[in-house]
Amino acid sequence: MYDKSLPFEATIKWIKKETRDTASYAVKINDREMQKIYSFKPGQFNMLYFPGVGEAAISISSGPSDHDLIHTVRVAGDVTTTLSKLNSGDVIGLRGPFGKGWPMEETETRDLMIIAGGAGIAPLRSVIRHIFTSRKGCTNRVIIFYGAKTPKDIIFRDEFPHYRDLFQVFLTVDKADPEEYWRGHIGLVTSFMGKVSYDSLNITAFVCGPEIMMRSATRELLSKGVPREKIFLSMERNMNCGMGICGHCFFGPKFVCKDGPVFRFTDVEEFLEIKEV
Amino acid sequence: MTKARMSKDRLKSLFETLKGDYRIVGPKIVQGTVILNEIDFDDMPAGSRDRQGPGTYRIDRAGSSDIFSFSVGPHSFKQFLLPSVQETLAFKKSKKGISVNRVLVREKPIAFIGVRACDIAALRLLDKIFLEGPVVDPFYEDKRKDIVIIAVNCLYPGENCFCDSMGTGPEATSGFDIALTEFGDDFFLEIGTAEGEEILDGIPLKEVDDRDIEEKGAAIFRCKEMIRKAMKTADLPGILYRNLEHPRWDEIASRDLECGNCTMVCPTCFCNSSYDRLPISGISSDLTERSGMRVRTWDSCFSKNFARVHGGNFRPSRRARYRHWMTHKLAYWIDQFGSPGCVGCGRCITWCPVGIDITHELEELRIVR
Repeated sequence: MYDKSLPFEATIKWIKKETRDTASYAVKINDREMQKIYSFKPGQFNMLYFPGVGEAAISISSGPSDHDLIHTVRVAGDVTTTLSKLNSGDVIGLRGPFGKGWPMEETETRDLMIIAGGAGIAPLRSVIRHIFTSRKGCTNRVIIFYGAKTPKDIIFRDEFPHYRDLFQVFLTVDKADPEEYWRGHIGLVTSFMGKVSYDSLNITAFVCGPEIMMRSATRELLSKGVPREKIFLSMERNMNCGMGICGHCFFGPKFVCKDGPVFRFTDVEEFLEIKEV
Repeated sequence: MTKARMSKDRLKSLFETLKGDYRIVGPKIVQGTVILNEIDFDDMPAGSRDRQGPGTYRIDRAGSSDIFSFSVGPHSFKQFLLPSVQETLAFKKSKKGISVNRVLVREKPIAFIGVRACDIAALRLLDKIFLEGPVVDPFYEDKRKDIVIIAVNCLYPGENCFCDSMGTGPEATSGFDIALTEFGDDFFLEIGTAEGEEILDGIPLKEVDDRDIEEKGAAIFRCKEMIRKAMKTADLPGILYRNLEHPRWDEIASRDLECGNCTMVCPTCFCNSSYDRLPISGISSDLTERSGMRVRTWDSCFSKNFARVHGGNFRPSRRARYRHWMTHKLAYWIDQFGSPGCVGCGRCITWCPVGIDITHELEELRIVR
C-alpha cells in the first residue's frame, strides 16, 4: 500500500467543457509504478491538489476499465476555480482513491436504478461506464433518472444517446427556456419516477444529488416498495483529509470519507431527516 | 507487573537518566496555570494545589509535601503528539511542474512525567484515529512511537474530575512505562514495560510488601471518595440519539460563546484543517513560481466554517454545533470506536468561560420536556 497522505503528480491530458460551470479533466499519473498500482472502484474519490491553493475532494467519473482517469468538476471554491483555469499539459497533485464505492455486487442479480441530481451524476457515470463497458448484453434492467436545472446544465449530455442502447434513460430539467429545444421532461426527478413502471422488489437503487433530492427520491422508492436495504446514497461533506483524521466530514457517527461516501440507506436513515446533523 | 518503592529524591536521578535520550515534558506553572512543558526537575510545581470550578481555575501554594498534589491543567498529550500547527508538506510549483515533499523533522522522543490516568485513556483514543484507521498518520506515528510515559496516580481529584464514572481513572492501570503513587517520602512504583525497567536500572529500589500494596489501594480509594462529579453513562449513546431535537440544545446555545475552548483543552478532540501557507517570499516576481508549506492546524467544530461547503453550511446554527460536539463525544465515538470520546478529565468544564458542564447537560437531556 502506498502513502495516501502524500499527493503524487498527474498531468492533465485533456479537458472537456460539459456545461457552463462544469468540466471533465482526464489526468494521467506521471509515475509509471504508480500508474500500475493505482486502481479504483466506481463511487470513490480523489483529493486533487494545486500547490499554493489547496485540495478538493472530487469523485471519479470514469469507469475503472476506461482508458482515461476522469474527474468531473463544478466550479465552486478556490481549488475548482483554479482547475478551471488550467490547460492540458498542466500538472496537479492527486491523492487517493478514498472511500467506499458503490456496491456493484448488489447489481449482479438485480435491476439497477440510477437516480442523479445535478453534479451528482459524476460518481454515477463511473457506474454507468463500468456496466456499459464490462457487461454489454447483460439482461438486468438498468434505469437512469437524471435531473438538472436546465437543458444546458445536463452534464454528459452528448453521451446519453449511446447509453440508451443498453439502458433506459430519463432526463428531466427543472425548467427549460422556450427558445431551447427540449423534448424531455420538465419537473423534479421524483415526480418523473412515478411514471415509469419497474419491478420494485427487484430494484437496487444508487442515488446521488443534493440531500433534499436524495430524501425525496428515497421516500418515493420506499413508497413503491423498494427494499430499504437496497437503496444506496452517496453523501457530500467537506472532506479535508480523505482518510478519517480531520473530523470535517461527519454525517452523524459516520466519517463520509472512510465509511462512505456511499452508504446503505438503513445505515444512515435515522440522521437523514435531522437538520444540521 | 513489577512493584517497588523508591525514595522520592530519586526522581531527580530519573530525570538525569532520561535527559540523554529524551526531551522531558512535565508539569510547570506558567502564568498561574499548570501546563506541560519541557522541564527540569526543579520546574515541577511541588506542593501546589489547584482549585477548579466551572469556568474557574486558581493555584494555591498549599504547602503539601506531595509533588503531584495538583490535578490536570489545560494541556495534554495532544500539545506534543498533535501540535496545533504541523507542517506536513513542502510544495513548489514552477513552470516545469510541481513538487510535493513530506516534511518530517526528526526530534528526540519525549518522556512524559506525571501523566494522569485520564490522559492515558485519551492517548488510546487518539491512537485509534491516527494509527488504527485506514491510513496511518506519519506525523503522529513519528512523535508517538518512542515516547516514555511516567504516570502518576491522582490522590487529590480536581473539582471537575469525573474519571471514576467514565472508568478511566483516577488510577492508571495500564498504558504506562512506570506509574508512581506518592507515599509520604517514597513513591510506590509499578513498572509496566521492559522500557520502564531499563529506565530504573541503576536507581536503588526497595522491595514492597502486602501492606504497601494495601496502602496504595487505600490511597486510590480515598481519592475516589473525594471525587464530587460523575457522568451518568447509563443509556449512552441512545440518550443522545433520541434527543437530537431536545429543547435543551437551544438553552445551551443561548449561553455558548462558540469560543472553542472546550475543543482546545479536550485531550481527545483531534479535528484539524490543512491548508497551503504561501508566503509572499514564496512567489517569484513574475508570478510563475510559488513555494510554501502545507500546514495542518487544530480546528474546532464550533467554528462557523467547520462544516462549510460550496453553496452552504451543514451546521450553520450554534445549537447544531454544540449538539455536534457533545453528541460526537458521548454517542458517535461509541459507534465508531466502542467507547465514549470523553475520559472524564473535566477540562471542558474548567476552561469554558461560561462554565457549561457536560455532565449536567447530559442530565438535562434526560428530562422529558
